[in-house]
Amino acid sequence: MKKLLSIISLFAVAISMSAQGAHDFRINEVFVLGCPKQCPMTAADDSGYVSPSMLKSCPKPEFYVDEYGEPASWIEIENTSYTTHDLRNCFITTDRAVLDKSMSAPDREQLMSLIPAGDPRTLISGKQRLTFFTGHRNRGTLHTTDVIRLKAGEPNWIAIYDGNAVDLLDSVTVPALKPGQTYARLSDGTYQVCEASEATPNAPNQEYHNDKIREFKEKDPHGFAMTLMCMAVVFTCLAILFLFFQGFGLIIAKMVNKVAKPVVQPVVNASERVVEAAKQASIETKGIPMETYTAVIGLALHEYFGGTHDIESGILTINPHPTAWADKSHELRQIPQHHIQTPKK
Amino acid sequence: MDFVATKFSDFLTYTGFANVEVANIIMIAVGAFFIWLAIKKDFEPLLLIPIGLGIILGNIPFKAAGLEIGLYEDNSVLNIFYQGVRQGWYPPLVFLGIGAMTDFGALIANPKLMLIGAAAQFGIFGAYMIALAMGFEPNQAAGIAIIGGADGPTAIFLSSKLSPNLMGAIAVCAYSYMALVPVLQPMVMKMLTTKAQRRIKMKSPRQVSQTEKMLFPIVGLLITTFIVPSGLPLLGMLFFGNLLKESTKTTRLAKTAGSALNDIVVMLLGLTVGCSTQASEFLTLDTIKIFALGAFAFIIATASGVIFVHVMNLFLSKDNKINPLIGNAGVSAVPMAARISQNEGLKADSHNYLLMHAMGPNVAGVIGSAVAAGVLLGFLS
Repeated sequence: MKKLLSIISLFAVAISMSAQGAHDFRINEVFVLGCPKQCPMTAADDSGYVSPSMLKSCPKPEFYVDEYGEPASWIEIENTSYTTHDLRNCFITTDRAVLDKSMSAPDREQLMSLIPAGDPRTLISGKQRLTFFTGHRNRGTLHTTDVIRLKAGEPNWIAIYDGNAVDLLDSVTVPALKPGQTYARLSDGTYQVCEASEATPNAPNQEYHNDKIREFKEKDPHGFAMTLMCMAVVFTCLAILFLFFQGFGLIIAKMVNKVAKPVVQPVVNASERVVEAAKQASIETKGIPMETYTAVIGLALHEYFGGTHDIESGILTINPHPTAWADKSHELRQIPQHHIQTPKK
Repeated sequence: MDFVATKFSDFLTYTGFANVEVANIIMIAVGAFFIWLAIKKDFEPLLLIPIGLGIILGNIPFKAAGLEIGLYEDNSVLNIFYQGVRQGWYPPLVFLGIGAMTDFGALIANPKLMLIGAAAQFGIFGAYMIALAMGFEPNQAAGIAIIGGADGPTAIFLSSKLSPNLMGAIAVCAYSYMALVPVLQPMVMKMLTTKAQRRIKMKSPRQVSQTEKMLFPIVGLLITTFIVPSGLPLLGMLFFGNLLKESTKTTRLAKTAGSALNDIVVMLLGLTVGCSTQASEFLTLDTIKIFALGAFAFIIATASGVIFVHVMNLFLSKDNKINPLIGNAGVSAVPMAARISQNEGLKADSHNYLLMHAMGPNVAGVIGSAVAAGVLLGFLS
């Protein structure tokens, strides 16, 4: 039975652990490479894809570049939890065909870009972000395969899938963006289109400031509201505890009284017997009243039979515990003895 | 020969004598004063000796040459120890020890004393209001105000989260005033009580069953952390330590938590808190303000505890009156505050023993200050 319970507990813990992690990843910001339509130097192909080489020749490009200085679309993923999680072996996709639940996992993987394992950069700390550039997988982990294509000038669907290529972690439909714009997730979970100057790859989408402190500073400059609220909470906590133990104490007291009645009687009898025995005994009192002797013997017997002294609340007791250090038999104080050996004859 | 001379003169630039500033000397003197107070005056030696030596250690002047020796230098031994303060590991570990050493029996026997522990937390919020008036930001004011809880680990825990730049001053201030509780509290207690009130004899507390003692940490944990989850690290460890003690099945663990582990953490905590008071950070106007606020916080906390007992007595029958001298024990300086109640009670009436009664609000104060810290953290972090 114990083994079974242990296994169930471990299973419950394992389930609760797996429930966290990958599900905290969110698509945080998306940039789709594009160029002003009126630009004569560039043109999208049939799928809406603008090649970087075309954009290079654009006189007023509005784009961001990868670590090789090449312009590229990018997808930023944020770990929204406060714990470090690894994004390795998860998938990024832009193909809605994967929503077909009847599709097998291998078929799905063909339409997705795997985030490779073995790169420590995929280990994302709590509230941190990682940006993936589309295309050029040969440039490293932070580049997707060519199956990921973000089309300029039209809506794009982007999703991230768990390592089994079946469980959807997050998805977002990015509206048609103008060149230079990004689509960013705000702290309340909604998305908004940001202008070029507001794009924040690998950084929070909103400027960090502690709203709580600012709010208290503005609306409660003297601290009265804070004092009132905090004292109310402290009092509530301790008042609930007070009520609980007041009630529980009464129940315990009633229970003790019920149980104690038959127990008390023999103790009283024993005390009476001690008193009688002490009166009859011819103890030499040496001037000390006989009642004192009676009380001391009675108390000793009460403690002996009751056995409650050591766990009695509010009474400090020092119990001597023999240890190897205190044990007389271990002390090096034995009187040396001369063992005189008598010579053998 | 030139080589030797060059190297020797180079070595001289590394010595403390070459790098010393007046501020270092002042702080070393402060550290020495703390050690003197601890040894000569017996003011909380377990705290003031590590802190005092830490202040000296943290203010030994040296050349910043990347030798990884200073408290604030990455990878130095002191820096590794300091992570326990900076990241807040030490305070919950100290609370584990406190839980393992605390007998909540007095509180369970007379649960209404819990309310005194709650009332005394007004010291925190009184100081919070004064700190705001003095121009501190709300998060800084909260970090400073928690000194009024008279609880060093809680003060370090909260200030490390809300106002890390003031943590050194706050920690030293909290521990200094805890050591000065015997000086600060009796004065306020006498001012707010009459001689007749100081002579009130309280009924002996009822005997508490082991079941109640075992139940207390579990119920206490559930109630307090459901209301204030932000106090989880402190409250969780406090009640965990107490459950180790009261379960009667883990005596060995409770002994370790309350003795060896607690001593190790207190040593490291005291030393690194002392070290963190480097002259450049510590000798500022803010530190003086913090020390002034700390005194206010202690006085307000003591006064509010005593006044609350007067209010409670208005509603209690003549036989159940509470001696207002135990009101000071609502702060969580365990068991110093309770000891002061006992001493003042004996001064008023040599047969009036208040220690066990005062332990009730005293341990309630530990819970109260941890809850207050959790609430402040929840509101401001």
